[in-house]
Amino acid sequence: MPLINLPAFAPDLLEDFAGLGTERVDTPVIQPAEPFLDMAGEDLRRRIFMTESETGESLCLRPEFTIPVCLRHIESATGTPRRYAYLGEVFRQRREGGSEFYQAGIEDLGEGDVAGADARAVHDALKVLRNRLPGRALKVMLGDQSVFEAVVAACGLPAGWQKRLIHAFGNQDRLRSLLAELSEPVPKGVFGAEVERLAILGILDDEARLESHIDETMQATGYSTNASRSPAEIARRLREKMELASTRLDARTLATLRAFLSIELALADAPAALHDFARSQGLAIDDALSRFDARTRALADAGVDTASITYRSAFGRPLDYYTGLVFEITAGDDPAVLAGGGRFDRLMTLLGAKTRIPAVGFSLWLDRIEQAIAQTSEQTTAQGASA
Amino acid sequence: MTVTIALPSKGRMKEDASEIFRRAGFGIVSVGNDRSYRGRVEGRDDIEIAFLSASEISREIGNGTVDFGVTGEDLVREGLAQADERVEFCARLGFGHADVVVAVPEIWLDVETMADLGDVAADFRARHGRRLTIATKYWRLTQQFFSGNHGIQLYRIVESLGATEGAPASGSADIIVDITSTGSTLRANNLKILSDGIIVRSEACLVRARKAGHDDDPVVGEIIAAVRGTL
Repeated sequence: MPLINLPAFAPDLLEDFAGLGTERVDTPVIQPAEPFLDMAGEDLRRRIFMTESETGESLCLRPEFTIPVCLRHIESATGTPRRYAYLGEVFRQRREGGSEFYQAGIEDLGEGDVAGADARAVHDALKVLRNRLPGRALKVMLGDQSVFEAVVAACGLPAGWQKRLIHAFGNQDRLRSLLAELSEPVPKGVFGAEVERLAILGILDDEARLESHIDETMQATGYSTNASRSPAEIARRLREKMELASTRLDARTLATLRAFLSIELALADAPAALHDFARSQGLAIDDALSRFDARTRALADAGVDTASITYRSAFGRPLDYYTGLVFEITAGDDPAVLAGGGRFDRLMTLLGAKTRIPAVGFSLWLDRIEQAIAQTSEQTTAQGASA
Repeated sequence: MTVTIALPSKGRMKEDASEIFRRAGFGIVSVGNDRSYRGRVEGRDDIEIAFLSASEISREIGNGTVDFGVTGEDLVREGLAQADERVEFCARLGFGHADVVVAVPEIWLDVETMADLGDVAADFRARHGRRLTIATKYWRLTQQFFSGNHGIQLYRIVESLGATEGAPASGSADIIVDITSTGSTLRANNLKILSDGIIVRSEACLVRARKAGHDDDPVVGEIIAAVRGTL
């Protein structure tokens, strides 16, 4: 049965949001579909509800709040920092549960104190959940995209491999198969007959010559170069690919990456463990680690118990606008994610903001929270009956 | 019960399909004149023929409004979600060969595989301020192949209903997903097929709608056996 009525705790939740100093915003249920497909990829099309305007513009029912809230901020051209809160219905086909459900959350835009804003997002999500689920043990899983990026960069891999690994972060299977590929002794690159011919002619060794060869071929075939990839881009990536094909990970680097990806421990112990790891593997990742330390301290300062948060190095979200912190909150042993969030410093510019606006936020799954509340009261009733 | 078979309504596909059924012992005649959209099998009152366009055939099998159809596998897989649960591919008929492929400009010397394309797609936004675009009329097949098989999410589909192979040269899309039988049209437009870029190797198939009544219907089994016997 899909949720069509506001959950009973919604007014209390909004009161919490107001108490946290946020500004409540609403966005239209009917949204232009392009930004969602552009940010999340074409696969989202199967899961959102799309229609067309009379003039042929693609529209959809709001599948989430982050993009509409950010777009609204850009359009209204208000200054930063701003902390927006939202609560409303979203529409998305899910494997489990109905396809219309309520979400609420906070988006924190333009706060320059990154560590403080990160800590506040985790703190606020925990606080509003604890107010709904008093007495339930909440579990936080925390990851950090920027630490992984720093480790990959410090391993000294070619740019092409770094990009592939970073792009796969958050997708365990993909990351595993990339690492396996990197450790294979046989080069895997596939090159066409034309590339073989250019290699024999010696054109591949000289990037400028390669570029002008590509340019001439494009002109001769009437290919519209301004519309897509330029000769320079193709030449550069061809040379990058040759480098990719000839690079194999030595056993030590592979072991370093695997060791990093298996780190999982209490956040309170994570800074020391990461510094030890970097020192023992000889990785220069001080900048990323000092940001990690600052966030961990800010969390402790905000009164969050960092011993109750689990840091997992491989935990991430496979969307290319997440840039740092990611986290999810569950209750007890139930795997249902009640809150999820993270830092997305690239999103605002991708959506058309003129200046770089750092951003962090989280959203709450109100239907799952409602179920968790129901479970809690069942348990209480059962305990009361047996007593 | 009458069993309905949907056959292509015109062209080479119509002739080839009729020939298969003739060899299987079902002589097909049009009802009324040659251009009629209804037909029957000589001497068989329990079989009806509906002449439809190829894309209608896949839709009607999906709906279960016909029992069998002869059409390209590409159209069935594009037209129906979870095709294998809804229809059975009973026989591959050996004509109407065509592949649905991923093709990129020949001059993209650095792109030979889907992995290369994934790298290019991941970077595209940063370089060009927009996603990589794919011109195609095969939405479903493209999404399944890119997202499902190759983990590539960052692209946009531009719908193309004709002359898809011209899209990269005209600048309306970067690459295409299209059907090709010999590859000559692709080559003429300076496009190349990726080495692992074949999405479906299609040909005309005898396709059955999965309907409950079929299990007990001897005519259904007879048709499948007779068509398979000709191959």
